[in-house]
Amino acid sequence: MAVDMAMPILVVDDYKTMIRIIRNLLKQLGFDNVEEAADGEEAYQKMQDGPGYGLVISDWNMEPMTGYELLKQVRGDEKLKGTPFIMITAESKTENVIAAKRAGVNNYIVKPFNAATLKMKIASVIGDF
Amino acid sequence: MPATDVAAKIRRALDDIKAADLDDPRLMEVLSLAENLVDSMKLFFGSLDNSIHSEFLHIGQYIARTRDEIAALRPNDIRESRLPTAGAELEAVVNDTETATETIMTLAEDIMALEPDNLENYKAQVDEKMMGMIEACSFQDITGQRVSKVVSTLTHIEERVARFSSVMGVLDAEEDDSDEKEQWRQENLLNGPQINGPATGQNAIDALFDGDISDEELGQDAIDNMFD
Repeated sequence: MAVDMAMPILVVDDYKTMIRIIRNLLKQLGFDNVEEAADGEEAYQKMQDGPGYGLVISDWNMEPMTGYELLKQVRGDEKLKGTPFIMITAESKTENVIAAKRAGVNNYIVKPFNAATLKMKIASVIGDF
Repeated sequence: MPATDVAAKIRRALDDIKAADLDDPRLMEVLSLAENLVDSMKLFFGSLDNSIHSEFLHIGQYIARTRDEIAALRPNDIRESRLPTAGAELEAVVNDTETATETIMTLAEDIMALEPDNLENYKAQVDEKMMGMIEACSFQDITGQRVSKVVSTLTHIEERVARFSSVMGVLDAEEDDSDEKEQWRQENLLNGPQINGPATGQNAIDALFDGDISDEELGQDAIDNMFD
């Protein structure tokens, strides 16, 4: 099935610059419908009220709700649990990667990353585009 | 009144009673016993006085030494000058970096948005924006100098605290975990970027998510990376 390039994507990061970088990379990849949230709490609220995001790309370290907590909330929510979820973070300790995988993250990108890695990871989660 | 003076006073009172030429031999016996008791007490309280005096002297010297060592730490200089300056320098680093990133990103977005209809015009605009990017990169020199100042402050504090700890024989107290916010941060926020690159490489993570290796193997891979 073809990927819907107009699907809404939610980028969650507390650094505006990082959101801007991801937004630009997504634009280059052909995804224009990007929304943003500054932490897990805001993201979860947007997901509950929002249009039904086709993909969530989230940082880990945020306050008051981390990306890991957001992931666990999403996976525990009947309505949202199927949402594809990619973690983009500077955290690369083995136990954290494993914890995120066990919590149901679809893929994991270590910062700093490049456009090719982002494209590959998105494709592995939602299909080739 | 010191113990020795009290003993002398009692002794004099006993001598006066004895000099009164009392006839009862039992009274004289009691007086003699009292004299012995006073002599013993004099010795006991005398030694106690000396030991307390010596203890207080020792405590006084320790307090004076502690005060000298704290003065050598120059805590007021650290609190009022060095730490605020270091904080201001770090804040400036964050601001400089943010400003430079914003500038570079805006210029890059401008280049991506250019219409290459007129090649000469397009090249001139790209050149101008590229020059802007190069200029924005000069923040690195300034931030490098700012960070050096902060490192120097931290080294200064580290040296003084280490000396104080060594001279005073300080042992670390139990960590205070009464701050709920700080406790949440420690439990939920991780340590950020690793020194010398990621602890687990992107290739190892890819292999895990592709199903090529198990959780246990990922752990071994990370350990292997540390020794490679």
